[in-house]
Amino acid sequence: MKTNWFKLALAVLAAITILLLPQASPAQTASKGKIAVVVSTLNNPWFVVLADTAKARAVELGYDATIFDSQNDTAKEASHFENVIAGGYKAILFNPTDANGSIANVEKAKAAGIPVFCIDREINSTNAATSQMLSDSYSGCVKLGQYFVKTVGKQGEYAELLGIVGDNNTWNRSKGFHSVVDRYPGLKMVAQQSGDFDRAKGLEVMESILQAHPNIKAVFCGNDAMAMGAYQALVTAGKDKQVKVFGFDGADEVVKMIAEGKIAATGMQFPKTMARKSAEFADEYIKGERDFPQKVPVPVELVTPENVAKYGDYGKK
Amino acid sequence: MAAVRWFIAIVVLAGICWLFPIFHVVPLKTVTAEKAAETFDATQFADNFWTNQLVPAISKSVKADVLLPAIQADPAAAKKKFSRSVGLSESYFYFLSGTGRVVAVSDDEISLAITSGSTNAEVSLQAGLIFGDAIRDGTGLLNASDYPNSQDFNDISAALDHIVETRVLPALHAQAKIGATVSFAGCAEVDDESTDLKPLKVIPVQAEVR
Repeated sequence: MKTNWFKLALAVLAAITILLLPQASPAQTASKGKIAVVVSTLNNPWFVVLADTAKARAVELGYDATIFDSQNDTAKEASHFENVIAGGYKAILFNPTDANGSIANVEKAKAAGIPVFCIDREINSTNAATSQMLSDSYSGCVKLGQYFVKTVGKQGEYAELLGIVGDNNTWNRSKGFHSVVDRYPGLKMVAQQSGDFDRAKGLEVMESILQAHPNIKAVFCGNDAMAMGAYQALVTAGKDKQVKVFGFDGADEVVKMIAEGKIAATGMQFPKTMARKSAEFADEYIKGERDFPQKVPVPVELVTPENVAKYGDYGKK
Repeated sequence: MAAVRWFIAIVVLAGICWLFPIFHVVPLKTVTAEKAAETFDATQFADNFWTNQLVPAISKSVKADVLLPAIQADPAAAKKKFSRSVGLSESYFYFLSGTGRVVAVSDDEISLAITSGSTNAEVSLQAGLIFGDAIRDGTGLLNASDYPNSQDFNDISAALDHIVETRVLPALHAQAKIGATVSFAGCAEVDDESTDLKPLKVIPVQAEVR
């Protein structure tokens, strides 16, 4: 009997040991390697969608994918690149923090043999990244500018909230908008300040603009996060019916606010399309493809109360 | 002796500094001029592009009397055969040329009938304020990948639109009367396949009224 108890204990112990052993998931077993998703910030739902979609598509394609949040800080971004290079990643899906400041990071990765695919934001170099999938912010804001004139009119004061000053998208959006609006001398921009693409900063800047310029008819915001902040400031000031808010991004919350008549319009940027396509480019690269267009413009569509039903979930329904 | 040694040391140090200066003093004007030379001049670029590439390329554009019947017959086939698009865009461009008869005139457009005997506006030459990228992207002669900073590429668009407004439209407005014949070349941007192409809206790069 003693022997039997001993055998039984051994069997139970063996079973428990087997159960406790770390099991490889099917995805891990079949993994083709690691892909890094380095994103400028996760403090904005739009970028969360961008990063999550890139990661999800990379996983679908058979890779282990990890998201690195640069928190809009080039030093943090540089540190992520060091870790990614040391960590044996096969590709980087990259949303840069700074068009100039991020070039060195991409060049380091390239020197280490790791391809970098920029998403949404560009770097000011055409020979560092393997490819750059970029929202056509300028054209999108030309359309927004035309709609702005149509809805606000050709006379009146307005304000502009710029994004991060070092980011090309900030200026592509601003220039596209002004390429239209500046042609109407009756439309006077009385304030132009940076809200750093941030909702809280957008609210704060809008509050101070309203104090100095209580008669503005509209505000053009370089992204939807700032547009939501600006709208919040307008509600607090009791001016949300007086001032039309224009955003840019196509954030789900703003699309809903357009349907509710709270925000006038936005530009839909299709973050999911860009993120998925970039992950597919990385997969093609890893499989041996080397011929990629340096810049792939992705169109931006105007979302207004007239066509808002066609849009949602960060894209076209 | 010590004074001599100091003197020699200073002379040697001065000599080294003369041969290998620690810093250079450059007039601010020179720096500004050098910086300006490095800055991309979109207006100059657009001017050269217009003369040396765009106008010569008109001979390769699709003829309006070929394109319009093709669009009527099968828009998808016409798009496939004659258009070009950029990146992942649903929108696409036609680069076309032809001759038409003026059937309507307004501040913003000159409407042309292309088909013989037709009185319908088949092409609308855009003649108001010109916006967008139709001229830059409509011919395929310029590629975003060639420009490290997309702001430069976008500035080209604005500069080309400005040339249309200043070189093409004034004469068109002055001479295009109903019944006049206009030979034109230009670019049309089509948002997607649901866009109404009657008439086809063309931003003119060339328009001669007879």
